[in-house]
Amino acid sequence: MIPLIDGEADMEEKRVMKVASGDSLQRVFMLRDSASLPVEHIVLEAGSAADITIVVMPGVSCDVRLAVDMDGQGASCSVQGVYLCTSDEDVRITVDMNHNVPHCSSRQLFKGIAGGSSRVDFFGKIIVAEDAQMTEAYQENHNLLLSDDAKVNTRPQLEIYADDVKCSHGATVGRLNEEEQFYMRSRGITLQEAKVLQMLSFVSPVFSHIPESAAKDDMENEIEQAIRRL
Amino acid sequence: MDEKTEKDILQDIANQEYEHGFVTDVEQEFIPKGLNEDIIRLISSKKQEPEWLLEFRLDAFRRWQKMKMPTWAHLQIPEIDFQDIIYYAAPKKDSDRPKEIDPELEKTFDKLGIPLNERAALAGVAVDAVFDSVSVTTTFRKALADKGIIFCSFSEAVREHPDLVRKYLASVVPVGDNFYAALNSAVFSDGSFCYIPKGVRCPMELSSYFRINAKGTGQFERTLIVADEGSYVSYMEGCTAPMRDENQLHAAVVEIVVEKDAEVKYSTVQNWYPGDAQGRGGIFNFVTKRGICKGSGSHLSWTQVETGSAITWKYPSTILKGDNSSSEFYSVAVTNNMQQADTGTKMIHIGRNTRSRIISKGISAGHSQNSYRGLVMMQPGADNARNYSQCDSLLIGDKCGAHTFPDIRNSNRSAIVEHEATTSKISEDQLFYCNQRGIGPEEAVGLIVNGYAREVLSKLPMEFAVEAQKLLQVSLEGSVG
Repeated sequence: MIPLIDGEADMEEKRVMKVASGDSLQRVFMLRDSASLPVEHIVLEAGSAADITIVVMPGVSCDVRLAVDMDGQGASCSVQGVYLCTSDEDVRITVDMNHNVPHCSSRQLFKGIAGGSSRVDFFGKIIVAEDAQMTEAYQENHNLLLSDDAKVNTRPQLEIYADDVKCSHGATVGRLNEEEQFYMRSRGITLQEAKVLQMLSFVSPVFSHIPESAAKDDMENEIEQAIRRL
Repeated sequence: MDEKTEKDILQDIANQEYEHGFVTDVEQEFIPKGLNEDIIRLISSKKQEPEWLLEFRLDAFRRWQKMKMPTWAHLQIPEIDFQDIIYYAAPKKDSDRPKEIDPELEKTFDKLGIPLNERAALAGVAVDAVFDSVSVTTTFRKALADKGIIFCSFSEAVREHPDLVRKYLASVVPVGDNFYAALNSAVFSDGSFCYIPKGVRCPMELSSYFRINAKGTGQFERTLIVADEGSYVSYMEGCTAPMRDENQLHAAVVEIVVEKDAEVKYSTVQNWYPGDAQGRGGIFNFVTKRGICKGSGSHLSWTQVETGSAITWKYPSTILKGDNSSSEFYSVAVTNNMQQADTGTKMIHIGRNTRSRIISKGISAGHSQNSYRGLVMMQPGADNARNYSQCDSLLIGDKCGAHTFPDIRNSNRSAIVEHEATTSKISEDQLFYCNQRGIGPEEAVGLIVNGYAREVLSKLPMEFAVEAQKLLQVSLEGSVG
């Protein structure tokens, strides 16, 4: 596997990022207090790759908008994110994945926990243009609802105009599994700890493909602390 | 695949006619074109309606005038001139024999496979046959009445059971619900009314058959089904129209009320004229269908096979109000040539322990666009509610589109919603496998599609299942590419 490294992405305008042919771009955006991403639009040229991770920490209300245009063949893109809402946050995430040319692949994975009186809106769109054959595009959005006052709206959408494609999306909104909790409690793990473990394992797939590094450890620590405080 | 056979097949299909595309030559009575309060008064007086219903219509019309055509659907709808439509057309009754059905009409329905004669082969089904704006006849009324079941045309229901109609009309789809529902409320002509009393299990399938015949008209029927406590009914709906170059509007409203522990099964095989291969003509099918599971333990099941219409805009929905109520939506939507479909469902969970299941199979071929649009809403009181949705799309050919637009809103932490969707095409491997065993490409596609749609087709009443399978085959012929 070729490790993803920061590519020579040039910032054309402030919010547009172009990844040149063959380059790869990897970014992790931790939203601690800022309410939006520094980049709004990513353009991928032939054979380039982008890997974007977005983490919305507790207490942050945000309106994240990200559009990806796959303009060159063989481009691949992975966008994933975690949002943790504990009080009265209003988190909106909008992702547009535009497959404009053939032979591109994209993955989206967003996982979130909504507690307090928070409100989450996820709006993800995959558009496969008419000639963009051999596209592979996947999108997943999973949510846990922790309180009665929290609300989750999710709209995963597929717009497909080509036939030789593999596309799927999945979305769930649910609660922590009580049978799993029982399993852990019967083995001496407290209910609180069981819930923490469940939530950690719920969000962990989002980071699983990021190569090990000190930065990754820090990030995971920070997320674990946030989950423990939920 | 052999280039030549492919072309031949396509050629065959282009020449193939829509089976139900004929026109019945009967003397018909029309009212003038256009829509205004006078027209509505005229329709109301033609149907000898009571004052309250006229007021209902006028109120709807005034609301409709303030509304705009919805544009959110993934459809390209040409401008519709609502003043260029005839809102009422009825076959003339023979003055000598006012009680009998015009033999010409009987022949028409016979040709469509809908026997209006009770001794006919399809004895297990009671039919309400609607021809343009009026109901021609309703069969088996007496046998049903013995059980206390009311099954008649809407106009008769207004005359004979005004209290029931008044109680339930617009109780599920309010007058101002949406643009087309308001239009329908203003000008609706005929449709079916069905009431199943407490604890009665309807002994036969009830069905409505809608036929558009006259040129330049629209059909605006209204169906109201009420299943009282503990009752059961299975209801089927079918429709066809002649082949014409013009687009004709069909804007129906269906309301279903399901009381405590009652069960309603509503099945549709929609086969309106879809227009020709170039997209000329065809029916605009803009329909509002909604049911309410009012009492606890009630159940409503929607099954639809959508193969016809130039444009379909249709979202049969269920409001799950009663605790422990449940609802299902099974749909197969096929679009070919230039057809467009934007269809799906809404499941509104209000009561506790409510359950819903959505299975949608879209198949698009030719240059068509096929969208699934669905809403699953868990309201704060919907404790332990559960929804599962699965929406699959199958693409045949590289010029068509398949889209999925689900909307999931959950405001209850004990409610669980799951949605999944896939889009794929018929794989070369599957086709090769069939070809190798001597099954031609056309037949192979039919086989694969039928297997793909099986989960839905198996939910149809027997009388419909056979027709639906044939329809799928016909609708997709010529789409192998």
